[in-house]
Amino acid sequence: MSYELTPEEKSESPVKEDKIKSDILTVNMGPQHPSTHGVLRVEIKTDSEIVTEAIPHIGYLHRCFEKHAENVDFRGVLPFADRMDYLAAMNMEWGWCLAVEKLLKVEVPRRAEFIRVIVAELNRIASHLMFFGTYSIDLGAFTPFLYAFQEREFILRIFEELSGARLLYNYIWVGGVWNDINDDQLKRISSFVTRMEGEVEKYHNLVGLNKIFVERTANVGIMNEELCFDYGATGPVLRGAGVNWDLRKNRPYGIYPEFDFNIPVGTGEKGTLGDCWDRYWVRMREILESVKIIRQCLDGIESGPVMGKVSKIIKPPKAEIFLRTECPRGELGYHLITDGNKEAYRVKVKSSCFTHVSMLPAVSPGLMIADLVATIGSIDIVLGEVDR
Amino acid sequence: MNQAAVKPLTVKSYFHNIYEAVTTVFKGFTITTRYIFAEKPVTIEYPEVREVLPSNSRSRLYNDVENCIACNQCATACPVDCIYIASNRRPKDAPEKKASDGTAIKLDLIQYTIDTALCCYCGLCTTVCPTECLTHTTDHEFSQYTLDGMKYDYLTPEIIAMRDRIVKK
Repeated sequence: MSYELTPEEKSESPVKEDKIKSDILTVNMGPQHPSTHGVLRVEIKTDSEIVTEAIPHIGYLHRCFEKHAENVDFRGVLPFADRMDYLAAMNMEWGWCLAVEKLLKVEVPRRAEFIRVIVAELNRIASHLMFFGTYSIDLGAFTPFLYAFQEREFILRIFEELSGARLLYNYIWVGGVWNDINDDQLKRISSFVTRMEGEVEKYHNLVGLNKIFVERTANVGIMNEELCFDYGATGPVLRGAGVNWDLRKNRPYGIYPEFDFNIPVGTGEKGTLGDCWDRYWVRMREILESVKIIRQCLDGIESGPVMGKVSKIIKPPKAEIFLRTECPRGELGYHLITDGNKEAYRVKVKSSCFTHVSMLPAVSPGLMIADLVATIGSIDIVLGEVDR
Repeated sequence: MNQAAVKPLTVKSYFHNIYEAVTTVFKGFTITTRYIFAEKPVTIEYPEVREVLPSNSRSRLYNDVENCIACNQCATACPVDCIYIASNRRPKDAPEKKASDGTAIKLDLIQYTIDTALCCYCGLCTTVCPTECLTHTTDHEFSQYTLDGMKYDYLTPEIIAMRDRIVKK
């Protein structure tokens, strides 16, 4: 929503604009601010309550992933990859494992492929539930947060039984997965996804259609198609702008080509195409698509081993590879250069959250501070992935 | 500037807004009200009621030093280098010693320390252990007042005594 004076209003004003003493105030939002989702510091230049400039300062959660990855072996990188996007660690591991497997030319067993899709999609649901909960807290609603965490708890419990950890799993390994999934867990996942469909509808009635929520998010923080292409945005931000692009469909990896699912895109039904409400609604519908994929997985899962043949010491040949996967927050790319040693020669990670944070200065001018909070919440950043 | 134009407020849209606000908020209230009466509580009262962790939960590491052959594989696999191992070659005239799975112990362990504060609980060390003496236990409540207290030397009698309490059968 624009709060600037129109040219007519300006000409009617008895005072010449350049004569008015502007009072630009610099406000620091963060690093310890609940609505910055971690340790992001946003330096805001405000004219009364209207933001004229917002500069994100990052680096508070820098963990030297790239340097670590050059100094530990290919299995040892996985715990560090987990810690990049700690809300969707399964997806982070999968990208790394795919890259190394492609270099080693390892065949992954079919059962492991199915389990990978199941855990990655469950993790996507968990991540979007986290978004839903924290976003409603950002906008002043506390109750939805508890409902979202109640469902997320089930997913974490399943992951804890599978891998032994609740957030940083180290479950997807080079060549397969660590642990087999049993029938009881599959049955519980099946009943969970059925429940999840009803839950999404409930969340949408409770929050998404609420007039207060719509007023806070529709027409706010518009990231349109052009801006997304300029900055290279991916994931729900790009899809919220109405662009039909999903790596699972357009550049499939794993066994995604076998599944039938749609790509939800923004429609602009409550406001303008690419606003905060569109990004919210894209994520909610992605949960339903994940449910669809998991259901097909549960029907088609095959028995067999879960670990392929990988030598004890992983030594890929001299090669260079760039591999992208679709994570809940956007595309994650691993650029991996090996020189035939036990460690990688160079690793570069392309993170989607970093791109989305860098879009903030472009969308923030003219917003109120409260709308800026809504915008930061709607792009759903995880600072571990921004700083890596 | 990348902002949307504001729609003009008419009499019709003014009343429509009020109608929408009342109905959608009421819809939300019906959902939350159902939680008061129809749903059971899902939380537990933590210190009194404790959740049982799954058996393969990755919490505090425990090394059974009697079965450890000091092969150093765990220390090599560790991505954060938190395992410190020192050993001596066993004298030739010493009586033969075997781990529980039959592997001959050729090295005498002098020190086996894990810095639990540095450990990232990734589970890579337990999977490479050939005698399966190094395991993750489900014991997760082990806070200490000092960082030094988090360094566990598994050869000390107090920690050996913990074995029956924390190691999974």
